Formats: sequence, structure tokens, C-alpha cells
Amino acid sequence: MAVQVTQAGADTKTGVSGWSLSIAPRRGALSVVEVIVLAACIAAALTMTNRHGVDIMIRTFLWAGLALAWNIAGGYVGLISFGHAAFFGIGAYTSTILLLSYGISPGIGLFGGALLAAAAGALLTVVCARLRGPFFILSTLAAGEVTRIAALNWRSLTGGAEGLEIPAISSATDMVFATQWPYVGLVLSYMLLVFALSVWIERSRYGYYLFATRDNEDGASAIGINPGVMRVSAMALSAALTAIGGTLFVQYFLYLDPTHIISPDISFEFALICAIGGLGTASGPVFGALIIVPASELLRGWLSQSASGLYLVLYGLVVILVILYFPSGISGAIARGWAALTKKKTS
Amino acid sequence: MGGADKKEDQLMLWVEGVSRQFNALWAVRDVSFSIEAGEIVGIIGPNGAGKSTLFNLIAAAIRPTSGDIRFLDHTITRAKPYQVSRLGLARTFQIPKPFRQLSVRENVMLSALRRHRTPHRANRLAGETMEFVGIDHLADTSVASLTVGLLKKLEVARALATEPSLLLLDEVMAGLTPPEVREMMAAIAALPSRGVTVLWVEHVMMAIMNVAQRLLVLHRGQLITQGKPAEVSKDPAVIAAYLGEKYAARS
Ligand SMILES: Nc1ncnc2c1ncn2[C@@H]1O[C@H](COP(=O)(O)OP(=O)(O)OP(=O)(O)O)[C@@H](O)[C@H]1O
Ligand SMILES: [Mg+2]
Repeated sequence: MAVQVTQAGADTKTGVSGWSLSIAPRRGALSVVEVIVLAACIAAALTMTNRHGVDIMIRTFLWAGLALAWNIAGGYVGLISFGHAAFFGIGAYTSTILLLSYGISPGIGLFGGALLAAAAGALLTVVCARLRGPFFILSTLAAGEVTRIAALNWRSLTGGAEGLEIPAISSATDMVFATQWPYVGLVLSYMLLVFALSVWIERSRYGYYLFATRDNEDGASAIGINPGVMRVSAMALSAALTAIGGTLFVQYFLYLDPTHIISPDISFEFALICAIGGLGTASGPVFGALIIVPASELLRGWLSQSASGLYLVLYGLVVILVILYFPSGISGAIARGWAALTKKKTS
Repeated sequence: MGGADKKEDQLMLWVEGVSRQFNALWAVRDVSFSIEAGEIVGIIGPNGAGKSTLFNLIAAAIRPTSGDIRFLDHTITRAKPYQVSRLGLARTFQIPKPFRQLSVRENVMLSALRRHRTPHRANRLAGETMEFVGIDHLADTSVASLTVGLLKKLEVARALATEPSLLLLDEVMAGLTPPEVREMMAAIAALPSRGVTVLWVEHVMMAIMNVAQRLLVLHRGQLITQGKPAEVSKDPAVIAAYLGEKYAARS
């Protein structure tokens, strides 16, 4: 049985047409399971009242948006990047410098950061155009490190290792708020925006061209797709969205320095969330973030007193188990589970 | 070669003195021929003769060491494969190159997207093309589960869904059962009536002898002869190329 809510006039049988709402997660469609789980998680998160809980919620939504942005390059076009912290940093620094030096609102400054990061992402992809697999990954890691070192040394612009601080004076135009709730609104909108964009990409010609480029470059070329354009544009878009997340991050924490912002740990985390949630689907990164971010925060809190190393061990264990047993991530596991359930019922 | 007295405006493909060297090896050497619109031209030759290399040259996947290639009104010698595809030249790969994470339907639909713009519209052509090739019953299966024969059919469907005027087929019969070979022969024979000119490399002699109107024979990178299938199969040079010089001398 296939319960499908379909737009009038669209062909239900075809997997690639019309707006459809299926039950199990599927690329390019919103599934009932996803909508329910997401809505439940968001609702549960919104009932948080203590400061620490709301803090975790803000991080979760922000990191979900960032992982979705990473997924456009890493999941859709197959450009696995361990250098996205550089784009995150470019976004955070650009809007903060524009705010502190020129009084430009981060609401406008974030577009400046997005444009700069898009240019940086495009440049990186053009320079590394001939590199594939591990060679590309290592180059992105190196690019991230170069960016961090540049930020550390360009003191007049970035404040070097001491970093930059945004005055904690509540002002809506400066995007600084006294309470946490406006930030919840900001990061939730950010996540939903990147999610909607991802779903649109999955259903569009552009998205299919990205998948084709990822799956088989020669095959893509042979049907008229320019793989270079696909890679560069997807990386630029991914970088721009990551930069916007960087601006939101710094507006919440009101402080940034190169070591924490442009750190490989941040790049790894984006990749990890996508790998665990499910690479190349819009729901994957959101599921990944909903599990990884709160779990790592809680684990860190509980285990830090007893044994600090234990946290990393457990974290690593969970990651290995998930990658071994759920190679297509949580969203893939849900899809398979649902398929198994419906098969049993009908037979 | 050359010197053929043909009207330029009827030419679909024009290959002039094309060579390609890999290190010390001339995979394709001074090959010249042309194809008119509506023809089905076969290319035969022993393993390693340079047939696939010639296809890669025509489809602009690799550059010739020397020589020129024209397709319709365009010189495509230095073009990119995606540009050649957009001009209306489609090719299959001898080793299939599908999009592994997508369904059969999505693989075919992708080819139709350039002209039909949205997945919804491209899907209609994809459906027709899958039916034409005989893989419509597999539309929603994953490509990862297909056999070699089905992957070959998918290659043909993917190439056809770009709506080409010239189609290059590289050993599409490999892995097909005899009834499937007959179906594929009928499908290829029907292509000119759909406005598709065919250049076709094949090892299954029965198929290519019966469907191709003209055969080109490649041996060690060189075009040793061309003509009607019946004439070519009697040519001593062709028999020698296939059996080796010793056997030819003995018989
Ligand atoms: N990229 C390459 N680099 C080096 N040598 C190559 C390359 N491609 C092909 N060759 C060589 O060129 C020669 C012609 O190969 P090609 O694949 O064109 O033959 P073919 O006629 O298609 O053979 P088959 O019938 O086995 O498919 C072979 O000797 C092959 O090893
Ligand atoms: Mg070959």
C-alpha cells in the first residue's frame, strides 16, 4: 500500500513528478515520517525552559542548517569537504568586521560574507578541479588550515588570536538580543530555509545534474552536462549558506577567534552529521543534527567530571556503529524499515 | 581514402585523417570516412583494433593527435563532450556508465532534461524511450541491481533520450540473449525512420551484418576496407585481420 497525497494533475506513478507526500523518506519528497519526527522534535525542543536546554536547541537547529549546507557539496555533487570551517569563518568575520568597523547590520553583512565565501568556494573547486576522492578532501582540509593561519596573522583585520568581540548591547538592528528566543527564531528559520532549498534542489533539473556529476562524470558529460560548472556552483552555494550560519553563530556567542571558528573539528562535525543522518538527502542532515548535537552536548556534560577521554571514546563508538550498520544513515534506515514493514503486511 | 564525391550538406559526420597515439601505440591511425544522414554504418575489427578509441575521438572524450572531425556544420575536433552532446551527438559506453545511485527511470530522464527542462516533462520522453528499448518494466528499480545486458540497454536508452541526430553504439549486444539481440536489431533498424543516424561498433556479426548498410573495418588502428556487409565479409584482408596472417595464408 502506498499512501500518497499528490498534487492535482500530477502522475502518481512516476517517481519524479508533482509534489507528493509519501510515508517513508525519499529523495525529492517530504515523507509523513519525516514531517512527524521533525515536527515532534521541534515541538519538544520548543518546550525547553532552562537556559542550557535552549542553548542546545539553538546549536541543534544551527548545526542542522550548516550540515544541510555542507550536504549540497558533499552529498549532492560528491565534493566531500573538510574545509567548510573556512566558509563558516569567512561568514562570521565578514559580518562582524562590517558591524564593528562600519556599523553595518549583520542582517546585511551576512550577504557580504555569503558572497565572499561563495567566491572562495568556487576558487577552491576550480583550483582543485583535477583532484578526486582523498586528494580533494585533503586539499579542502589544507585550504581550511591556510584560512585559519591567515586569520591568526592578519591582526589588523581579524584581531588575531585575541579575536573579536561584539558588544552585548541588545539591539535588533545589530542582531544582538538579551534573551535566547529571538535566536531560536533566527536559527530555526535558517534551518528551514536551507531545508526548503535542499528539497527544491532534489526535485529540480539542477539537482539531477548534480547527482549525475557525482555518480558518473563521463556519463554526465556524454548527456550534455558540464561537470565543472556543476561542481563549482554547488560548492559556491554550499559555502555561501555555510557563511550565513557563521554569521548567526557569532551573533549568538558574540565572540570569535580563528582557533575556535575555523577549526577542522567544525568541518568534521558537518561531515559527520551528514554521514550519520544520511548523505545526499534533505532529511539526513536534520536527523543527524537532532541526534548528534544534543547527544554530544549531554555526553560531554555528564562525562567531563569522571573521565574526559571517555566522551571521545563513546562518541567514536557510536559513529563507527552507525557507519557500519546504517551506511545510508538514519533516513536510509527509516526508509528500509518502512519498506520491510509494508512488505510483511501485504504478503 | 577520401576523394568521395558527396554533397557537403548531406553529411552527418566527416572524419578526415584522424590519428590518436598512446605513448608508442597508434590506437587510431589516419582514419578518414564520412556518414550521410539516415545511414546505419557498422564498424568491425578485432579486439584492440581501435574502435572504442575512434568513438571516444568522435564524441570528443579524447583529443586526436592529428586530423579533423566535423559533425553537421560544426568542427568538433577540439570540443568538449558535453558540447558535442548538445549539438545532437550521443554515444553509449562499451563499459556502461550509469548513475549508480539513481533509478532506471531517473537515469533515462536525466538525458531528456536538457530539452524538456523539468523532471516532470522529461519523464514522458523517458517512459517512451524505456519502452522502445524494452526496459520500461524496470523503471523504478535501482541501477545497481541490473545485469550487464540490461545495463547495455540502459546505455542505449540514455543516449536516445538526448534526442540525437547521430548515435554512436559501442557493442550494445554483449550480454543479451538471442531473442533480446533480435529485439535490439529491430530497434536499431528503426532508428533512421526516427531521424537518428547510426554509427555502430559490434562483435555480434549476425546482428551487424543484417542491419548495417555499410561496414568499416578497422585493424591495428587503420581503416583497411569499407563497403556493403556481404562484400566486406568476403574480403581476404578482413579475413586475414580476424584470423591472423598464418590462417589466411593456409586457406
Ligand atoms: N587511454 C588509453 N591509454 C593507453 N592505451 C589505450 C588507451 N585506450 C586504448 N588504448 C589502447 O588502444 C588500443 C585500441 O583500443 P580500443 O579500446 O580502441 O580497441 P577496440 O577496438 O575498442 O577493442 P575491443 O573490441 O576489445 O573493444 C588498445 O591496444 C588499447 O590498449
Ligand atoms: Mg572497444
